[in-house]
Amino acid sequence: MRKRSWVAPTAVALGLVATPVLWEITRFPVFYLVFVSGILFWAAQATSWNILSGYSGYFSFGQGAFFGVGVYTMAVLFGRHGWNWLFVVLLGGVAAMLLAAGIGAIAFRLRSLRGEIFALLTLAVPFILAAVVRLVDVIDGGQGIVVPVPAFPEAVAPFQRFYFVISAVVALLALTAAYLMQNNRYGWALFAVRDDEDVAEGLGVPTFFHKMIAIGINGLIGGMSGAVVALNLGFVSVEGTFNLRVPLFVIVMSVLGGRNHWAGPLVGAVYIHTLQNRLADAGFDGWSLIVLGTVLVLLMILAPDGLMSRFSRRPWQVSAAFVLVLAGLAMFGTWGEPVDWLAAALAAAAIVAFLPGRGVSPAQRGVSSVGLGESRAFGEAMKTRGENWTPEPVVTATDVAKSFGGVDALRGVSITVHEGELVGLVGPNGSGKTTLVNLLSGALRPTSGSIRLAGAEIVRLPPHQIAHLGIARTYQIPRPFSSLTVRDNIAVAIMFGREPKSLAESRAEAEEFLMLVGLTDLADVRPEQVNLHERQLLEMARAMATRPSLLLLDEALAGLNPVEIDNAVAVVRRIHGSGVSIVLVEHLLRVVIQLATRVIVLDQGRQLAEGTADVVLRDPAVVTAYMGKESHAPGD
Amino acid sequence: MLRVTDLDVFYGEAQALRGVSMSIDRGEVVSVVGSNGAGKSTLVNAIMGILQARSGTIDLDGVELTRLAGHRTCAAGVAIVPEGRRLFPYLSVKDNLDLGAFNKDARDHRAETVDRVHALFPRLAERGVQMAGSLSGGEQQMLAIGRALMARPRLLLMDEPSLGLAPVIVDEVFDVIESVRGSGVSVLLVEQNVQRALDVSDRAYLLTEGRIAMEGDAGSMARDPEIRRAVLGV
Amino acid sequence: MTELQASIFGALTGSLFALMAVGLSMLWGFLKIINLAHFAMILLGGYLTVDLASRLGMSPVATILITAPLMFLIGALVQAGFDRFGVSELNSLLISYGLLIVTVQIVTNVWTADFQRMSPDINPLSLQSVAIGPFVFPMPTLLAAGFGTVLVFGAHLVLERTYAGRALQAFGQDRQIASAFGIDHRTLGLVLAGTAGASAAIAGMLFAVGEPLTPDSPFEWIGRVFAIVILGGIGNVTGTLYAGVLVGAISGLVSVLWSPSAAPLAVFSLVVLALVFRPNGLFPRKAGH
Repeated sequence: MRKRSWVAPTAVALGLVATPVLWEITRFPVFYLVFVSGILFWAAQATSWNILSGYSGYFSFGQGAFFGVGVYTMAVLFGRHGWNWLFVVLLGGVAAMLLAAGIGAIAFRLRSLRGEIFALLTLAVPFILAAVVRLVDVIDGGQGIVVPVPAFPEAVAPFQRFYFVISAVVALLALTAAYLMQNNRYGWALFAVRDDEDVAEGLGVPTFFHKMIAIGINGLIGGMSGAVVALNLGFVSVEGTFNLRVPLFVIVMSVLGGRNHWAGPLVGAVYIHTLQNRLADAGFDGWSLIVLGTVLVLLMILAPDGLMSRFSRRPWQVSAAFVLVLAGLAMFGTWGEPVDWLAAALAAAAIVAFLPGRGVSPAQRGVSSVGLGESRAFGEAMKTRGENWTPEPVVTATDVAKSFGGVDALRGVSITVHEGELVGLVGPNGSGKTTLVNLLSGALRPTSGSIRLAGAEIVRLPPHQIAHLGIARTYQIPRPFSSLTVRDNIAVAIMFGREPKSLAESRAEAEEFLMLVGLTDLADVRPEQVNLHERQLLEMARAMATRPSLLLLDEALAGLNPVEIDNAVAVVRRIHGSGVSIVLVEHLLRVVIQLATRVIVLDQGRQLAEGTADVVLRDPAVVTAYMGKESHAPGD
Repeated sequence: MLRVTDLDVFYGEAQALRGVSMSIDRGEVVSVVGSNGAGKSTLVNAIMGILQARSGTIDLDGVELTRLAGHRTCAAGVAIVPEGRRLFPYLSVKDNLDLGAFNKDARDHRAETVDRVHALFPRLAERGVQMAGSLSGGEQQMLAIGRALMARPRLLLMDEPSLGLAPVIVDEVFDVIESVRGSGVSVLLVEQNVQRALDVSDRAYLLTEGRIAMEGDAGSMARDPEIRRAVLGV
Repeated sequence: MTELQASIFGALTGSLFALMAVGLSMLWGFLKIINLAHFAMILLGGYLTVDLASRLGMSPVATILITAPLMFLIGALVQAGFDRFGVSELNSLLISYGLLIVTVQIVTNVWTADFQRMSPDINPLSLQSVAIGPFVFPMPTLLAAGFGTVLVFGAHLVLERTYAGRALQAFGQDRQIASAFGIDHRTLGLVLAGTAGASAAIAGMLFAVGEPLTPDSPFEWIGRVFAIVILGGIGNVTGTLYAGVLVGAISGLVSVLWSPSAAPLAVFSLVVLALVFRPNGLFPRKAGH
């Protein structure tokens, strides 16, 4: 998701150009209208599919279901009962949207549902639907339905012109939705879900809600587009509607064009439809599925990111190849027809795009130096503390226990973290530290016990609400959103914070958190290009961007060299200085000694000791827990 | 017998071992102690071939383990008792033992090795058909050790065998380590329980933040306050 | 057909579907590969059976002597490809989907889209039937049930009783540690995928003997087979057999009580319920006696 500043204005310019172009096309010979209408149909289907599957990563094989609902709604209500066709187009969309909502309500609620099982479920839905449609006489009953030509205004006669116009409207709706979502919070929620759903939920993104929006739009547009197509088919049958063509084509088109970009499915539609058209023209009908299947296999292995991302790496070369071949063939005029020229130009562009070549430029490295000055916003967060300031409790866990199957990871631990504290949570292997962090952040639910945040019970709340109430966490192995830049990782957390903010505002606000951890130089780089230490700093910045009252740092210093550890300690100090309470789970006890105001020792799921670091770590029970029973007297 | 030279091991980006060098002679019991996250398990996994080292060598009696594919290390004479036991939970006790002897050499002598393991762990003989996942913690640890012995190793790697066990069972485990040593098998013991480990070992290494910070014979290290400072920071 | 006969008939056919499901289930459970191309191999196996029987006059059942080794090789080859390119679980679904589409189209081009059926003089079994008590069963159904049950049980026995089978189970339960004891995932993977391929060839033969085949047949099988895989528990061989029989019986019953088109709906609802309440399958293994 790299945001190049020239893409947006170019897209808008293209949109402004497209409308009169499309209007001109309506004056073209019928052959071209039919050709372009085909592209528009597939663009609508593939784009709506991509809004769910490409943006959120929830792969669906079930596009045929939404398409089929739209087709049959038109066939039955208009074809058989003569309702107003325009009204029925909307109804078809709504019906498919309801089906989508039903699927989502079941599938997205199941916590155990992995992506693969969701995909397989969606594979089954069209078949079930086909069976029902065939079964129920009121719908089809196995006979098929005739769809007459609707009445349309004289101004857009003949039928193909009229059909082109309504196809264009639906396609534009789809593309607009995809474009807007790519640049606003709805799309960004989906990108976060795709990259790491658990982390997104923990940062405050209401994942269920956004997935439902995505599948709803998928259904709505898929259904409307299906209803429109029915007008062109003349006769509708179960076999012709619920086959594999639609699901397969939308997948290949989106994978080919690129699933990350709103225009990807459109580009894929242009390619595949042109290919299909030329193959059919040359008499190779029987080869089209072979070619498509092979293209899918090769793409998934060699270039799963698709054309648009390759295009954005060398836009001038690809555009030049396309324009040169097209213009050249047009000028010579002797070989083939315009559609052939288009096919050749597309092929040339694709070859240039997929050529192996220089990757994205490497990140500018530099040891991130802390000491870049206090950021202003944090000055505000520091409360003026009077003489009689007694810190309030921020979070109180009472008698929390957690068992997994037969294993008791935590057996009744009670801790309170107060304002301004930096609590070190330590203990030998298997003592329950990470389990406790997972319980406090809401990633797990305790088997028993209560957890109160600012007085309110949070045990039954979903993680994104707990994030809004003020608890944030980092992960021991950093889990950044891999398709977003460093800055955008932080921006997502701000966008979905307590007060929703726009993308632009969030990006601006991300500056202060970049400064807080010292990542300003690496802001526009992807996480895969920075090193482990920098990724851990990103974890902290992103968690801080939710403006928590309590920050849980889970082994944030794992695997660092001594220089990096010192830097990280300085950053943690700055974070603490801004007024946030911290629970620090750490193995490096020398770091805990430097940072913690209070230390809690866990052992085998129970609290063993509590107090200041130097006292607790000399406690004989703690020494035994760490080192085993002493059979020789220690040196001191 | 085992010689590790200048070993660097990474978990993705994180460097877990930095230039680690150590050795074990035939028949020795050597401990590697240190706080959590110091890299002890990483060392064991690297020797076993579960993790690939980025640089450095691991040599066992002239065979360079670092060049072998992971699944061939066992045949070269090393067996592991993994942290957390990691038995095959839905297979029986007998099956877990039999599978320890998967590599060809061990398979040929399986019958006699089984007898020896049963002699060492009579309770395992009794529970032959019981599923491994249903055993108690102590029995699982015994089975994990037995499984490793079935591979007829020259070097036995033990990763935190006392983890999560009651003190009485821990006694039994360390008794077993004593008898293993008696049978001529070398042992590399990674343990959090420093005192116990040093009691049963000939020599020891202290691992801190991926580096060897101290080494020497177990007796003198046990009396050294530096160890406690390294683990507890005070 | 009475409800009882329909249920029993369905249960018998169910063991054929269980045979189809078992290869897929083991690949998914042990190797984390979801291989839709498995259905392509069943289809090819069926078409080759028809072809070889019609052209060379072989007994249809005997064609597996050729098709099974061939599919073994193809299965192993596909697995080698997945291994070489380090394909993830979700991507394996997509790639194998592509392979399936390609195969279906090739079959259409070579053999046409018409129904393929062996004539009774090549396939005398299609005319025979056996009376058991008050019920009459066509021979192909009994053959399918017999082969299906025997082979799935055979797979179970191999897994439980042979050393290599137990090594495979260990590999499925803890891949890393199994490898640490010398159990090599690459070779095992190839053998497993090859065996799944061979089972696909046999399933194809059984279909060809009993039903007419079309290139689109795989798409009728996919729903039911995956329902069996999920209900039986991914990687659980005996569970797959029970689930196959259960799904078959339910389909048969629903077909008679309501309509044949309603059977998929009933099975699908069962799968959704199972995913909500028993995500590990209806017949989970317990770590106990």
